[in-house]
Amino acid sequence: MTHRRWFTPWLLVAPALVWLAVFNIWPSVNTVILSFTNAKPLGGGHFVGLDNFHRALTDDQLVDALLNSIVYMLVCLPLLTLLPLLMAVLVEKKLPGITFFRTAFYTPVIASAVVVALIWGWVLDDRGLVNGVTQQLGLAGGPLPFLTDRWLLLFSAIGLTVWKGLGYYMVIYLSALGNVGRELHEAAAVDGAGAVRRFYHVTLPGVRSTMLLVSVLISVSALRVFSELYILSDGTGGPGGRDMSVVMLIQMYSRGFTGHLGYASALSLLLFAVTIGPMLLLLRLNRKAA
Amino acid sequence: MRRHWAQPAVAVIAAMTLAGCGLGSTGASEDAGGQVTGEVKGKVSLQTWALKPKFTDYLQSVIDAFEKKYPGVQVDWLDQPGDGYSDKVLSQAAGGGLPDVTNLPPDFALPLVKQGLLLDVAKADPKLAEDYVAGGVDAYRFAGRTGAYGYPWYLNTDVNYWNSELLTKYGLDPKKLPTSLDELIAQARTVKEKSGGKAYLMSRKPGLGDLANAGVRIMSEDGRSFTFNTPEAAALLDKYRDAYKQGLLPQDVLTDKYAGNAKLFNAGAVAWTTGGGNYITGLATDNPSLAPKVVPSPAMGTPPLYVQGLSVSQRSKNLPAAIALARWVTNAENQAAFAHLTSIFPSTKASAGDPFFSRSDGTNAGDAKVIAFTSLAKAAMLQPVQVDGAMSDIVNQQIALAVSGGTTSRKALDDAVAKCNQLLQN
Repeated sequence: MTHRRWFTPWLLVAPALVWLAVFNIWPSVNTVILSFTNAKPLGGGHFVGLDNFHRALTDDQLVDALLNSIVYMLVCLPLLTLLPLLMAVLVEKKLPGITFFRTAFYTPVIASAVVVALIWGWVLDDRGLVNGVTQQLGLAGGPLPFLTDRWLLLFSAIGLTVWKGLGYYMVIYLSALGNVGRELHEAAAVDGAGAVRRFYHVTLPGVRSTMLLVSVLISVSALRVFSELYILSDGTGGPGGRDMSVVMLIQMYSRGFTGHLGYASALSLLLFAVTIGPMLLLLRLNRKAA
Repeated sequence: MRRHWAQPAVAVIAAMTLAGCGLGSTGASEDAGGQVTGEVKGKVSLQTWALKPKFTDYLQSVIDAFEKKYPGVQVDWLDQPGDGYSDKVLSQAAGGGLPDVTNLPPDFALPLVKQGLLLDVAKADPKLAEDYVAGGVDAYRFAGRTGAYGYPWYLNTDVNYWNSELLTKYGLDPKKLPTSLDELIAQARTVKEKSGGKAYLMSRKPGLGDLANAGVRIMSEDGRSFTFNTPEAAALLDKYRDAYKQGLLPQDVLTDKYAGNAKLFNAGAVAWTTGGGNYITGLATDNPSLAPKVVPSPAMGTPPLYVQGLSVSQRSKNLPAAIALARWVTNAENQAAFAHLTSIFPSTKASAGDPFFSRSDGTNAGDAKVIAFTSLAKAAMLQPVQVDGAMSDIVNQQIALAVSGGTTSRKALDDAVAKCNQLLQN
């Protein structure tokens, strides 16, 4: 006779539940608790009510950081949604040597973000490759301030993100394009549609849900940008810290012996509130499409 | 059924709790003045910062000699890598596992002192002030608190280093080196003009140390507020802003690339840098052709004092042994032996007469060592230990903003002080 106990399933999922509780749920709950205190890493914090949130909302550093993160998202979003799709359409064709191009486009994805940012830092430095070439060719009188001008630094980091992300999203689109029926393209071609019309009327509707997914992934990761700006600016966020992202701001306040964990937690919750926007938008768009 | 195991469990917890009450008993005792006395015995842990493998033999021999002197003691030596050392100490402290003796610079020690984790060694060991130089001990005294919370171990300071070849090439005399900011800016202008902007003399933005050097008081005496937003500080930043505008500094100095200063110097693109007393020795490996052309000179104004020390955990189970170990590692003989291996300077008063530090062998590296050693007499910690990472970032950002012309020097300083005060009071 098989003797089943009610807790057997719970025992099986217990390790996963413990893992989830310790490493996911508790840190999230703790962040909320900390955001109402002036806690330090070595303890000693006490309840300060909404002080941290009030301070954050009147902090010009947060305004700058939020603006940078939003500009980052708004520029990355169209570029990383459309360019990988175009690349995927190009490399989807079965041509001799196409595997080489697919691999080449994907290579930056597997490189570490830190290493890539360091290399770009050297390339864009005052004494780097780009400035060396522009000055040799007489295109600029002095070095262009890619890493020291507020907006140039931000757009340099955006360029890096786009370059590194193209291959990743291209692969997602490649799998989606595989599901668009070949017969639809053939039918459209028979009806006299050219390549552009087929792309607009067949390909795009076929990958619409993938585009939505990609858009959300890009939006969330752009709002959470850190490595690119941190390394290109050597941790300072550019002169005056005007190119800091919200994540850099959180890092600045939370690190070290005297980290200001309460304030950093409040900033984290504000970032969470901002990041959840694209997710809700996706849900809404998905529902509409359905 | 449950009561079968519940009762023994409660008994075990109660027994452990009661036993725990006796865990602090070490055989150590304090006399009326707070001095810790008792037998030096038991197990003690010593934590150092990035000394292995280069100095493994040295420190192991120091530990062996200590164990030989006190046969009842067993030292457990732990060396942490340089990267992430503060995080490691932080997790140890937060988890209640701080080693008995830990290498802590003063800024790392202060937060631990605030939590009551470090022993007041001035109270526990009244001979502290007699044996160690005042600057070293003072580094472990913190505003608003009595006592000292670490044995100063080794000291260092900065020396100016000049590329004599570049200076000569661009019309300057290596025998007439700048001794003030105004002279530095004037000579930087000459280098810029004669090199056509290809070489620089200055390649770092100012920091709190430069403000302190200009006579600006960084903090109030009680350590409760910052006070560096003065007209003198603004005037100093204005000088840097004008120099930056004139192209006397590379553009990228504003992105906290101070380490880049030394890199540019090593590459021969910049004619001035600052570094510790052994800078030329390291340079001889990185750029052997440049090293002989380097001329050292004393730092401008008050030289900065860099202090490393050993602190004792307040919760050490073997306090007499921990104190004896910290004192042993930092005594004059052991510090002198360490200083002979690398270019650091001892913090004991007995080391002052050691000719190894006070006489040059005639090389520029030897001259630099002597300059550094003699500078220690007037060296001081220019940046208050209360300045933590976030404050440091804010100050750097605001100074960079002022130097770039993004805001006025006065406003940048006012903003930095306001934000730092907010963090200090939090």
